[in-house]
Amino acid sequence: MDTFAQLLAGLSIAVSPHNLLFALAGVLLGTAVGVLPGIGPALTVALLLPVTYKLDPAGSLIMFAGIYYGGMYGGSTTAILINTPGESASMATALEGNKMAKAGRGGPALATSAIGSFVAGTIATLGLTFLAPTLVEIAVQFGPEDYFALMCVAFVTVSATFGDSPVRGLTSLFIGLALGLVGIDKLTGQARLGFGMPELLDGVEITTLAVGLFAVGEALYVASRRHHAPEQVEPVRGSLWMSLDDWRRSWKPWLRGTFLGFPIGALPAGGAEIPTFLSYAIERRLSKHPEEFGKGAIEGVAGPEAANNASAAGTLVPLLTLGLPTSATAAMMLAGFQQYGLNPGPLLFADHPQLVWGLIASLYIANVMLLVLNLPLVGVWVRLLAIPQPWLYAGILVFATMGTIAAKPSVMELAMLTVFGLMGYLMRRFDYPIAPVVVGIILGPVAEAQLRRALSISLGDPMVLVESPISATLLGIAALALIAPFVLKGLDRFRAQED
Amino acid sequence: MSRIASRIFSETPVSRRLFTALGLALLAAPAGLSPAAAQMSDLKIMAPAAPGGGWDQTARSMQQAIVAANLARSVQVTNVGGAGGTIGIAQLVNGAKGDGNQLMVMGYVMVGAILTNKAPVTLEQVTPIARLTEETEAIAVPANSPLKTVQELADAIKANPAKVTWAGGSAGGVDHIAAALFAKAAGADPAKINYIPFAGGGEALAAVLGGKVTAGISGYGEFDSQVKAGKLRILAVTAKTRVPGVDAPTLTEAGLPLSITNWRGVVAPPGITAEQRAALTGLVEKMAQSPAWQDILKQKGWDGALMTGPAFDAFLKEENVRTTDILKSVGLVKP
Amino acid sequence: MNPKATKPDTAGIAIAAGLAVIAAVIWWDAGQLAQGSPYGLGPDAAPRVIAVGLAVLALANFAIAWRGRLPHREAGDLGAIVWIIGGLVALIAIIGLGGGFIPATAILFAATARAFGRRALPADLAIGFVIGVGAYLLFAKLLTLSLPMGPLERLI
Repeated sequence: MDTFAQLLAGLSIAVSPHNLLFALAGVLLGTAVGVLPGIGPALTVALLLPVTYKLDPAGSLIMFAGIYYGGMYGGSTTAILINTPGESASMATALEGNKMAKAGRGGPALATSAIGSFVAGTIATLGLTFLAPTLVEIAVQFGPEDYFALMCVAFVTVSATFGDSPVRGLTSLFIGLALGLVGIDKLTGQARLGFGMPELLDGVEITTLAVGLFAVGEALYVASRRHHAPEQVEPVRGSLWMSLDDWRRSWKPWLRGTFLGFPIGALPAGGAEIPTFLSYAIERRLSKHPEEFGKGAIEGVAGPEAANNASAAGTLVPLLTLGLPTSATAAMMLAGFQQYGLNPGPLLFADHPQLVWGLIASLYIANVMLLVLNLPLVGVWVRLLAIPQPWLYAGILVFATMGTIAAKPSVMELAMLTVFGLMGYLMRRFDYPIAPVVVGIILGPVAEAQLRRALSISLGDPMVLVESPISATLLGIAALALIAPFVLKGLDRFRAQED
Repeated sequence: MSRIASRIFSETPVSRRLFTALGLALLAAPAGLSPAAAQMSDLKIMAPAAPGGGWDQTARSMQQAIVAANLARSVQVTNVGGAGGTIGIAQLVNGAKGDGNQLMVMGYVMVGAILTNKAPVTLEQVTPIARLTEETEAIAVPANSPLKTVQELADAIKANPAKVTWAGGSAGGVDHIAAALFAKAAGADPAKINYIPFAGGGEALAAVLGGKVTAGISGYGEFDSQVKAGKLRILAVTAKTRVPGVDAPTLTEAGLPLSITNWRGVVAPPGITAEQRAALTGLVEKMAQSPAWQDILKQKGWDGALMTGPAFDAFLKEENVRTTDILKSVGLVKP
Repeated sequence: MNPKATKPDTAGIAIAAGLAVIAAVIWWDAGQLAQGSPYGLGPDAAPRVIAVGLAVLALANFAIAWRGRLPHREAGDLGAIVWIIGGLVALIAIIGLGGGFIPATAILFAATARAFGRRALPADLAIGFVIGVGAYLLFAKLLTLSLPMGPLERLI
C-alpha cells in the first residue's frame, strides 16, 4: 500500500488551489490550440512549453498535464463536430462521432467522449500506479517480430472500416499503403517515390492527409451536392445529455477501450492509433446495433476515445520507469523534466518520488478538470453547428489550412492538403471508403519497418516470426479473426438448414 | 478572471505578449512601441527542423541567451522543417543570400543528411560561423551481455559482422556512421555491418534493454540513467577524451583510432561581407560565454564546445570528407 | 437487373486505369533503389508487394466497372468545386508570395462561402478578414504559433 499512500500524497500536492489554477489554465490553453486541425497534443505541448518555463517544477508539470489533456480533447471535439480529426488518434472518433453530430446527437457524442476519457484516465492512472514496474518488464521484451504480429492483428481489423464493398475497401487501403511508401526509407535512408522533391522526403504527413480527406473532401462534396441533396444539419435533436440508453451502450466500450489502450500504449512502439482502431473494430463486431455503425453509433465514439486516453497514460509507463519517450508527447514531457535537471528513468521513482507522484496525480487532476470544464461547454460546442452552412464550411477550411500551415510551415503542405481534399471528394463521389486510406498510411510503414528489423536481426530467417511466443500468439489471433467471420457465416447457414 | 490570469501569467514570457495582444486588440492601434536599446539589429535564427527537436531547442536557447545578454535588439526563431535540414539549408542559401542578420542552426546530422538525400545545396555554400555544443556517442550492451570490453566487441565484429546487431537512430545518422567507423577500425568491412535503425532514441534503447540486439549506439545521454540503474554497461565512448563520470574508455585508448561526436553549430548565408561575418561570429562568441548560455548548457545537459573562425572552417571540411567516405563504403551514397 | 446497369462505367474504368498507373510507377520506383542493408528484406520489397496488390485491385475495379455494377450517383455541381479549389489555390499563392496569413484567409473564406451559395462577396471578404485578424491575434500573438507573415501581419 506504500505506492497508494504516495499517490495520495501526490494528490494532496496537486489539489492545492495554486496548482489547481495551473491545471485549469493548462486545460484552457491546451483546448484552444488543440482544436486546430492537424495540431495534436504533442505539438500543443511543444508550442506551449515556453509558457511553463518559469514556474516551479510542480506547478509547471501540472500545467503541462493540463495542456496535454486539453490538446487531446480539443482534437476529439473537432473530430466529432466538424469531421476534422486534430490528430491521427482521433480519426476513429470522427468516423461515428461526426455522423452522430450531424444527426443532432453531438451532445451525447461529446459527453461520451469526455466521460470515457475520464473513466479511461482513472483506470489507467491506477494501472500506472500499481502495474508500471511489472508492465515495463513485459514491454521491453517486445521485439520487432512481436510488433509485426501486432500490426497483423491491426490489419485484420481494418475491414471494419471497409463499408459494403471489399474491393473498394481494399483499394482505399492500398492507396493508403502506397502513400505510406513516400519519403525516406527508415531502414536504408533512401528516398522512395520522392521524384526529386525534397518536400516529399519526410513522407506524407498523416494529419495533412486526414484533414484533407475528411474536412476539405467533405466541404467539396457537400458544396457540389447542394442542389441535389441539400444536407440537413440539426444541432440538437432530442436530449443534449446522454440518455440512459447511451450510458448503457457506452460503459462497456469505455472499459474495453481502456484495456486495449493502456497496455498497447505502454509498449515502446505501441502508439495510440492501433488501440483506437482495434477498439473501433471490436465495438463494431460486438455491438447489438451493428446496423448503426456508419450512421452514428455511440459505441464507436466511446471505445476509441477511451482507448486514446488510456494509451496516453500508457506511454508514461516506459517514460517514467525507463526514461523512454515513446511518443512525440512523451518526448515533450521528457523535455519538461529535463528543464529541471531531472532525468526520467529507473532511478526517478527512488530519487524524486514526490515529483513523480505529483505528476501522476496532476495528470489525474487535469483529467478531472477537463471533465468539469467541458461537460458544461457541450451545449456551446454543438451550437457551432447552427452556424449557416456557407460560413460553417468556410470556417472549417480556414481552420484546416491554419492548422496545417502552423504544424508544418510550408506552402507545399497546403498544396498537398488541396490535392488530398480533391481525392477525398472523388472517393466520396465514387463511393470509396475514406478511413482505410488513413489506416493504411499509419500501419503500413510501421509493419514494414518492424518486419524488416526482425528479418535483419535473424539474418533473413522467417522462422523468427513464429519462434517468439508473443508473436506466435498474436499471429494466431490475427488468423482467427480473419477466419472466424467465414466460419460463423458457415455455421449460420448450417443452422438455417437445420431449422 | 483578470486577477487569476495575472497570477498565472505574471512570471511567464507569454504574459507580456498576452497583455500586449489584448491591449492591441482593445486599442485597435498598430504597434511601434518596442524599446530601442539596440546592440545589433533584428537577428533571425532558423531552426531547419520542426518545433521541439534538438535544433529547434538550440535555436530557442540561443534566442533566450542572446536576449538575456542584450546582444541583439530582437531575435526571431523560424522553423523550416524537413529532410534532415536539407530544406532549411536550401532556403538559407537561396532565400537569404547576403543577409548579415540571419543564422541557421545545424549539426553533424546535416552533414550526413545532405549526402544521403543528394541535396542540391551543400554546406560548402554557406558561411560557417561556430560550433556550439557536442555530445559523445557511447556503445552500450545489456548488463547480462557476455561482452565485457570494447575489444571483445571489436573481435566479434571482425569475426562475423552479420552476427553483431546494432541498434541506433536513423539510417545515415551519426549513430550509423559511428557504428560503420567502428567496424572499419576493428578491421571489418563497414558495408557488412548489421545496423538496425530505430525511430528515435527511445525505441533503440528498448531494443538494447530487451536484449534484441548485440549493442546499442547512441548519444551518451540516452543511456545515462540505465547505466546508473545497472541495466546497461558502457563499453566505450567515442569522444577524444574520457567523459567525467563515465566509467568507460575512449575508443582510442582501446586501440581503435577513432573519435566522433554529435555536434551542433550555426552557419550564416552565403555572400555576406567579412565585417558581417565578424559581427555574427563576435555575437555568437559573446553569447557562448554569457552566463545565460552556461546556465542553459547545464540545464539541458549539453557540453559546450565553442569553435569559431578558420578552425571551424577546417573542422567542417574534415567532417564532410570523412562522412562522405564512410557513407560510400556503407553503400548509402553511391560512389 | 436493368439493362442500363450493364453498360460499362467510364468513370470506373478511368479509376481502374489510374490504379494501374500508380502500380506501375511504384514498381518502377522500386527498381531504382539500391539494396542498402545486406541482411533481411531490401527497401524494394514492400513497394513491390503494394504495386502487385494495386495491379490486382485495378483489374478487380475494371471488372466491376465493365459490368457497370457501380453505385448510382448524380453528377456534382462543378462550379462549387471550382470556387473552393480556387480559394485554396489563391491561399497558397498569397502565402507563397509573402502576402501573409490574414488576406489569404479572407479570400479562402469568401470563396468557400460563395461555393455554398452566398452571393455577398464583399461582406464575406470582410468577415473572413475579421476572422483572420482574430485568429492571428489569438494563435500567433497570444499562443506563439508561427503563422505566415505578410506586410499586414508585420504591422500587428
